[in-house]
Amino acid sequence: MKFRISIFLTALFLISTISGQVLSQDQRIISPYFSLNYFKNSDDLQYLEAALTYSRNRMEIPLPAIVISFYSGSDSKMLGTAITNEKGIATFDISEINSLTQSNQGLFAFSAKFAGNDTVETVNADLLIRDVKLEMVLSEVDSVKTISLSALTSEINKAVPVSGETVIVYVTRMFSLLPVGEVTLDENGIGTLEFPSDLPGDADGNITIISKFEEHPDFGNVERRIVAKWGVPYVSSTPAAHRALWTKTPPWWMIITLSILLSGVWGHYLYAIICLIRIKRNSKRNEKLKNGFEEEKIARKL
Amino acid sequence: MQADRKLLKDLTPELEKTSTGWYITFFILLAIFFTGIYGLIQQIDKGHIVTGMRDNVVWGFYIVNFIFFMGLSYSGALISGVLHLFNTGWRKPVIRLAELITVISLVIGPFFIFFCIGRLDRLYFLFIHPRIQSPITWDVIAILTDLFGCFIYLYLSFVEDFAILRDYDNLNVAPWKKRLYKILSLGYDGTPKQEKLLSGAKKIMASMIIAIAIIVYSVLAWIFGVTLQPGWHSTIFGPYFVIAAVFSGTGLLIILMWIFRKVYHLEEYITKRHFVNVGVLLTIIAAFYGYFTFSDYLTKWYGSIKMDSILIDKLFSEYYSLFIFANYIGILIPGIIIALPRFRTIPNITIASVIAVLALWVNRYIIVIPTLETPFLPIQDTRVDWINYSPTWIEWSLTFAGVSIFVMLFMLISKIVPIISISEMQEKDKEEILK
Amino acid sequence: MKETDLNKQGKSSRRNFLKNIGTGVGAVSISGIGHAALIPESATKSGVKVKLLSPEGKLVEVDQDDIRPAGKNVKEMKTEARQGLPGHKFVMVIDLAKCKNARKCVEACQEGHMLPKDHEWIKLYLLQDDKSTAKYWFPRPCFHCDKPMCVSVCPVGATYKRDDGIVLVDNQRCIGCKFCMTGCPYSARVFNWKDPEVKLPPDHVYDPETNIPPVEGTVGKCVFCADNLRKNLLPRCVTACPMGVIYFGDMGEDTVTNGEETVRFSKMMLDRSGFRYREELGTLPSVYYLPPNQRMFPVESGLDGYDDDIKGRYIKTGPR
Repeated sequence: MKFRISIFLTALFLISTISGQVLSQDQRIISPYFSLNYFKNSDDLQYLEAALTYSRNRMEIPLPAIVISFYSGSDSKMLGTAITNEKGIATFDISEINSLTQSNQGLFAFSAKFAGNDTVETVNADLLIRDVKLEMVLSEVDSVKTISLSALTSEINKAVPVSGETVIVYVTRMFSLLPVGEVTLDENGIGTLEFPSDLPGDADGNITIISKFEEHPDFGNVERRIVAKWGVPYVSSTPAAHRALWTKTPPWWMIITLSILLSGVWGHYLYAIICLIRIKRNSKRNEKLKNGFEEEKIARKL
Repeated sequence: MQADRKLLKDLTPELEKTSTGWYITFFILLAIFFTGIYGLIQQIDKGHIVTGMRDNVVWGFYIVNFIFFMGLSYSGALISGVLHLFNTGWRKPVIRLAELITVISLVIGPFFIFFCIGRLDRLYFLFIHPRIQSPITWDVIAILTDLFGCFIYLYLSFVEDFAILRDYDNLNVAPWKKRLYKILSLGYDGTPKQEKLLSGAKKIMASMIIAIAIIVYSVLAWIFGVTLQPGWHSTIFGPYFVIAAVFSGTGLLIILMWIFRKVYHLEEYITKRHFVNVGVLLTIIAAFYGYFTFSDYLTKWYGSIKMDSILIDKLFSEYYSLFIFANYIGILIPGIIIALPRFRTIPNITIASVIAVLALWVNRYIIVIPTLETPFLPIQDTRVDWINYSPTWIEWSLTFAGVSIFVMLFMLISKIVPIISISEMQEKDKEEILK
Repeated sequence: MKETDLNKQGKSSRRNFLKNIGTGVGAVSISGIGHAALIPESATKSGVKVKLLSPEGKLVEVDQDDIRPAGKNVKEMKTEARQGLPGHKFVMVIDLAKCKNARKCVEACQEGHMLPKDHEWIKLYLLQDDKSTAKYWFPRPCFHCDKPMCVSVCPVGATYKRDDGIVLVDNQRCIGCKFCMTGCPYSARVFNWKDPEVKLPPDHVYDPETNIPPVEGTVGKCVFCADNLRKNLLPRCVTACPMGVIYFGDMGEDTVTNGEETVRFSKMMLDRSGFRYREELGTLPSVYYLPPNQRMFPVESGLDGYDDDIKGRYIKTGPR
């Protein structure tokens, strides 16, 4: 009996492992990564971002075209839905919504949920955000470019300075943001940063400066950006009609040398061909002369 | 135009009749040629993957053959050009051979470039989108110029002979040939005015040929010389290639002298004296060639530049036998045979030339391929044919096809034009009479 | 492990039990998603529908991804490709201290440009300068030199250098003479020896900035993903590298980034002693290297997990 049971269990084990191998990994139900973030941009427009991805072979793969539902408040009132794009990110604009409820401590609650389907599990995430006003002022003090930052939160009809928090200052670059410095706000919620004077800007010297709370546990992502003429103007160095070995127009000496050589050689060829043509013409004349002499001779005889 | 009866009797039979041997040889060569064409069709159909060339050795047999055939064209430049200006009398029987070598090899050489080009259907881009900063454009211009010039020069040497043949009543050839002679002789009658025009044109073209030949071959050398590759980036490549070309051209001239002397029974005209004289030229040029080769490799070997040392190591290990053959045997054997009177016989001199010509082909091979096998970044690959170049049957067959079409064109031309220039030989007689 | 930008604060449900599911997938959009989840590498549609007026005057609803900007023809693409992105000067920095032959750069490049498996526009070498010096992995893309030998020797102008520093190849102009391949001292170019047999989408227009498809008898090489740069995206090798080895940026902005880390180029060069490969050749490459010091892993670990096809390449590595 025991022997039979052990055979049965072994068989079951083998079958399940084999079927586990045969049925490829793809067909397991996916348990994804799901995250919810809050954003407030420089124009004070706020939106929620939900990201849905999963991991396979240590690569992060997005899940697009999935409907995510967004809720607000502790009572989870439905705000609406959004669909994830090709990067697996669903964006939901909450700037226009007036009915966001604030808790007693001045916090806003948000949550997002995916109901799940045949291939992807149900997921949800939530968020508690405190609203913060971040201000940035650019000034030049003793010809030193200075950025002054201040942050205030609103707590039950009272503006409270944010102290001890870190604001990171960036400039926009073509592919990413270049960090310029970090500012820790003092007890008045104020901080300053010296801006480097040798950062290249665009051709006119414009540079976009961003200061932000980045993935802050209370504030989410809040940024303030200003375009200023604080960059060194960048002029691209290649002169337009550049003559080199690798450019479209060749160096002058090459053109001149080639022309001289070619005209010299082909000129001589032309001379030789002209000689040949003259040889041919000469012969006809000879014939005519011969004929002419013959005719004269005949004429004289007569 | 009138000509010496004896000359005509000796030099025209080939124009009149063709032996069976000629036909057999011709058809064997034709078969070899068509094998090559079949290989070419395979290559066009399946792509260049059927050759031995891969991403590192991107230039193989075809470029070697191209340089080789272009180099052969130098015999004309030397014999006709230089010796014409020095007015050496003994060269007269071999002038036409030399000029024919020049033109025929100039016609065949560029075809090997075509085989190497990946997109033959876009070849005309070289003419509508040229970049004059590129050595290949220089090469295209130079080769076209050289080809045109050599054709003119060859034709200039044909005019008098065509006139003689036109006026030779006992000539027993097909009517189309007679018509050809009449048209191409341009009504040349040997009048003083015509003679002056012809000799003036010849003199000008002779000096042009020398100049253009040096330019063409230097440009070809600079295709390699201006790159940064170890082994190619050498300052003496220009003159080195020119000397090597003269060497190969002269060697081929001796070989063809021997062949035509034997086959067309020209023992009276091409004598031992000619073999010895051209042989002496060969030896002198061999000495120069040896000097340039030695100079090039000595400077590479003595210095400690890593890439040069790697190349030298490769030449002395993998390519040792080829290196010795090309640069030692190819120079010493012709030199010894011709320098020592004991060995100076016609067959020996011909054998020496065969060795010299083969050695020069191998010399081109060890210039092109070992450098490509030792790039700056080491070849790190598992596929054998990507690490070392090994030519396929298609490349071999096209090489032999090139040789066979060379001989075939010679055979065909020898049926239209006497292989020894009758007019030149007559001039020679005139000179002797005047003395 | 490469950091993701997901906020770890969010509660993510990660139940780890296996569940057998049927291969039949049901509902329309979800089935589309499910199918996409099973084949994650293929392009998928966003599901966002756009209302358009068809030429016949009918209102139709089309998926956003199916809409392509109306016909740039080949001539326009090629002119744009020659102009490039003026006002920039692209530069790449490769950190040899972090490279461990993950070869994800090679794979991403081959996928992005529809290359056959034996074409490697970015190639990984294992180098050792001298027997006393360290071995190191050396990724070599095209260097996009400022004095490009390949451009100088091209007889028909099929390869050209743009004002933004990128050197491209026009597959429709190239005659396959391979002079550029002998001209390049870094062996950066590959040749299409046979028909690569690439399946193209029906309305594909040739663009030298992607150089798709590779054409038999012509030359191909790394293009610094010039098509991505137009969209302010990084080249494919940069984003694919799990170690963040490759940094890319604009020298005019004095900034390079590997997708995670953004630094000032001049500072990186000074602090980490950046250099160029074989500077003495004078071609002025646009790719800088950071020396392989203070590595955290042995070099030989780069050979793990590969078959003999790849391992066999590096057997004879050593000083030459």
